[in-house]
This record gives sequence, C-alpha cells and structure tokens, in this order.
Amino acid sequence: MLKSITKEDFFTRVGELSNDFEIIGPMELPLKGIFYQSILNTEDLYLGDGFAIEPIKKFFLEPSTRLLRYPWKNEPGVESFSPPERERIAIGVRPCEAKGLVLLDSVFDPPASSDLIPNSAPGAGKKSSNRAGSTYQDAFYTNNRKRTIIVGLACGRPDRCCFCTSLGVSPAGTTGMDVLLFEIEGGFAIEIITDRGKGIFGALGKELSEEEKKLLTSVNNKREDLLEKKIRVPESMDTIFTSDYWDKVSRSCISCGICTYLCPTCHCFDLIDERRIKLRCYDGCSFPHFTLHASGENPRPTKKERYRQRVFHKFDYFKINFGENLCVGCGRCIRFCPVKIDIGDIVDKAPLSKKR
Amino acid sequence: MNVELRKKAKELLKTKQVEMIIGYQRGPDGISATPVFITREEEAENLIWDVYCVYNLSNYLKDFPGKKIGIIAKECDVRSIIVLLQENQLKRDDIFIIGVECSGVIAEHTLASGKESPGELDFDEKCKACRPSTPRLYDYLVSQKDQKDKGVLPEENPYQDIRKFEAKSIEERFKFWQEEFSRCIRCYACRQICPMCYCPRCVADQTMPTWFSRAPDLEGNLAWNVIRAFHLAGRCIDCGECERACPVGIPLREVNKKIEKDIKELFDYEAGAGVDQKPLLSCFDQNDPEDFIR
Repeated sequence: MLKSITKEDFFTRVGELSNDFEIIGPMELPLKGIFYQSILNTEDLYLGDGFAIEPIKKFFLEPSTRLLRYPWKNEPGVESFSPPERERIAIGVRPCEAKGLVLLDSVFDPPASSDLIPNSAPGAGKKSSNRAGSTYQDAFYTNNRKRTIIVGLACGRPDRCCFCTSLGVSPAGTTGMDVLLFEIEGGFAIEIITDRGKGIFGALGKELSEEEKKLLTSVNNKREDLLEKKIRVPESMDTIFTSDYWDKVSRSCISCGICTYLCPTCHCFDLIDERRIKLRCYDGCSFPHFTLHASGENPRPTKKERYRQRVFHKFDYFKINFGENLCVGCGRCIRFCPVKIDIGDIVDKAPLSKKR
Repeated sequence: MNVELRKKAKELLKTKQVEMIIGYQRGPDGISATPVFITREEEAENLIWDVYCVYNLSNYLKDFPGKKIGIIAKECDVRSIIVLLQENQLKRDDIFIIGVECSGVIAEHTLASGKESPGELDFDEKCKACRPSTPRLYDYLVSQKDQKDKGVLPEENPYQDIRKFEAKSIEERFKFWQEEFSRCIRCYACRQICPMCYCPRCVADQTMPTWFSRAPDLEGNLAWNVIRAFHLAGRCIDCGECERACPVGIPLREVNKKIEKDIKELFDYEAGAGVDQKPLLSCFDQNDPEDFIR
C-alpha cells in the first residue's frame, strides 16, 4: 500500500502516537552529529539525508543490559529484572540498519521451528540443515523487538562509505520494516508493509496518483546508482586464513572499538558483574583483551588475528552458520575509523586466488 | 619535498639503518592520508607529506619493540616521542626521526563535508595554538622550501576559551560535561589512539575489582573520561588525536587543555619540551605551590 502524506500530517500523527508509544528517532545535535534518541518533541525528529552515528541496534541489543541481580547475604536464587513493556516506534531507520536487525534476529530471536528446541543449550536442538543456526531466544532482545514498530526512511544521499548494494541491501529496501517512508516534495510517500505498520499509519494520507507513482518508481530505480562504492564479496575466505594479508591490512589498526560498536550487526558481548548486578555490555574483536583467557592465554594475541576474526565472522563464519553475510554495507566502520581502514576494500582485494 | 622524503627513506632502508619506516600514504579516497609501514625500498614511493597528514604516528612505535624504526614526525608528534623517551618507553637509538616542517594540518572532519582542496578546508584546531614549526628533535629534516603553505598563525592567547569556560558556575560546567560525556560509547578510541596511553592493562579493563562501571552510562563515562584526562596530566602534548578519533564528538582537547594550562601556571611546565626534561610528576621542588592542597 503506497500513499502520500504531507509533512504536517505526518508529524501530527507522530505527535498523537507519542501518547501511546515511546518515539525513537534521529535527532541532530549541532556540531556533534545525528543520534538516535527517545524523541520528546516531534519537531526534534531529524528526517534528512544524514545518517545517525550509532545504528538503531542500540535500542535492541543495548550497550548494557541488566540481566539479573544477586541477592544480599547468602539467600539462594537471583532476582530478575522485569523487561520493559512500553511499546515503541523507531522512526527514520535506514534500510541497512533494518536488515541488520533481521540478521541479529537469526542469533537472538531465531524463528521458532518444530525441529529446533528453543531455550536449550546450543547444539541441543536437532539441526534442520547443516547450518549451525541458533536455537536460543534471548528474552531481552526478543522483548525489544516485539515492542518496537520500525518506520524506515529510504536513503536519498548515500555517501562515499556506503556500499549496501554490494550486500544485497537497497537504499529503498523494505526488509525488516513495518513502514517505509520516501521523501517526496512536500512530504512523504509512505509504504505500509506489515499489519503493525497499517495499525499506526494505515488511516493516513491519500493514494498516490499514477503520475506520482511513476515518479517515485523512477527515483527508486535510480537510488542504487547513487552508490559509488561497490565491492566483490567472496563466497568463502577459507583459503586465505593463514595469509600474511591480514598482517598487512591490520597493521594500522589502533585496536579501538569504533568499528564494532557502531556496526549494525556486530553483537559480541561481555558479561560483567557490578554491584550485585550481572550486566551484558558490548565487546569487540578489535580490543586487545578480546578472548583473553583467565590463564593469560589469548588465542587471538595480535591485531592480525583479531582483524581477521572481524572479517571472517562477517564474510565467512556467519555465512556458514546462517547463510548470509554479517554486513549490510552501512559504511559506519569506514566513516568513523580513526585511521581509515576500509573493510570493503579489504574484502574486495582479498588475495583469494593465491594461497599465500 | 616528497622527493626528498622518499629518497631519504630509501637510503635508510638500503643502508639498513632502519628495518621499517612509519609514514603517510594517500588513502583509498585519493585525498586523505593513511598510515603506511614500509619495509622495502620500492614502497618508499608511496610516502607523502602534506596538510592531510594529520595522524600522530608515534602511537605505532610501541608495536615494534626492539626494532630499528624510522618515523616521519611533525613538531607535535616529536613532542610525544620526547615524552615517550622521558618515560623510558623508547630507546633513542632505536628510532630515526625524519622530521618534517609543518605549518598546520587540516581539520579532518571538514573533509566529510565534501570540501577537498587545502584552500577550502579549515586547519585543525590544535594547529591554531601552534607556531608553524620545525620539529625540536630530529635525525634528518625534510625542509618545506618547495611547498608554500598558507600556514596558520598561533592564537595570541591559546587558553582564552578555557578561561571563558572557567568563569562559568560549577553547575553550568558540570551540566556541560554531563551532556558531553553522556554520549560516550566507551569505544576507547581516545585511549587507543593516544601515544601516551600505553598501560599494558588499562584501569578501565580491569574487572577484579572493577574500578568504575563498564556500562556506557553517565556514571561510568564520567569516571572514565576524568581518569583518562588525569592520567595524561603533564604528559599530554596536545596532538589532538583523542578528539579527532572520538566518533561522538566529545571535546576532549578542552579537558586536556585545562590541565595543561593549570600545570603551566602552577609549575611552569610544558610536556614534551625537551629530552633532558624530567617528567612532571617525578620532579619535586620545595617552592612548588601547594595552595590547592587542602
């Protein structure tokens, strides 16, 4: 269902919805950039061409999640935190980020399947194929997904770091969206994708005229051409695991967490005990202490092994386990890398033909 | 001057005076510079030096202990090498400094706005407090005579903004920093890019015990950012890399500058001024002011 709606009507509707829903959306902070935040005034909502620094991931797989609290003294058992119930609408989510959520779903919220036993230890469920998959429903992530409606915004100006089309994502892709907005003159074209989307925006706007439809289709057809960066993604990287290529490409890495923390699909985490609370916080394979064992042994002791882990997790292991690349080409890791390491370039130029 | 730079690099590698040269090369976008590590003579052709070479490469020296390393360094980078030498993190004989004359580098974030040529781009803030200069320490100097940069003049009062901020009430200042630090995502890019942050196990990574919350919420963020700044007291040479690396735009240089200013006023000390100078915290003078100890 495709309709058109004026900006005023759209924002008025969002204002109404904010009575029943928490509104999450991009907000522009002067001189700082664009940040997804809980929006209190609808006029703060930024629906321009710029991209948020952090992906929408942080509202689903949170930077820190309180998992449980230990009781005082020697009382048995643990207290659990009741999951938040407030329903949310995330507005302005980009197609790459929404696709990122769908990829995270396969890890934290896998589709229930009769021959997979949910909530059991990994490997306990019968595998329906030779893919390892996931059988674990993460209560916190699943709850966040369930209570959030995704209202996307098609991209009008991909920058030179964007390479989503190389990973099967389109600047107007609807994967993972309940509603997708397209900026048109005077307002938005609004595509209702799911019943949840229909529930909030269904009664709004008017049918697009044939002419408007044609115009939108022609704009949409050109969107993919706006991307300058195109990369070749190999089927497997198995043959170059031991290559000295990884040493070369990781040498300038400073081992910070920007690429992993800002990635819409990276999901490594660390469990931390603080003041009787067990927390789940982001972790990243770029950090020197990633996979450092209590014994002092580290199977990934240098930048070479850690950077290779990042590339292999995205373009090899995840594909083996879940059938897809764990990258949506959003370009954040390139845009914000302090030393301009370009994962697209590195994957594209990987010396697969030669076994070095 | 790139010709001279490359020639010298080749010579150093050929005569085995160094095993590797850390320098700059043109990035894949054709505009910006990226770090490059050169071990073969022919690779020296990639070396460049111009206004796009913003990075402080001295951060990489710790990656190659015991090796003879050549490094391309501008004045601010050299000052951080000096602090590393003072703190016995480097052996002077292990490094060969190819000094480059610098009259300011560009503010990298302005590149994202689509501007490309040096004339259109702003100079980095850190350069506005620095004199166009020849490095104070080098083994070989590549002079900039064939390249005429517009250059930047030092601000008359480099601490003007800090003084203005100091004049605000405690509440206002606290509110400002709370807002800034609330955005911190604890990626530790500020730490990882800092040549002075070389602790083998950072206090932020310790879990037995945890010294401050590892969760990226205000409490832990305040603690982390204050600890980071204090640990750099008397050591930060204002290369500005932390602020450049920060993905969420926290003005980290302002914290560093405030401490730098206090140290200058209290102890008349400037970090990285010379190899013979002792680190601030290891020199004690009976006449040191102590009014702030209560």
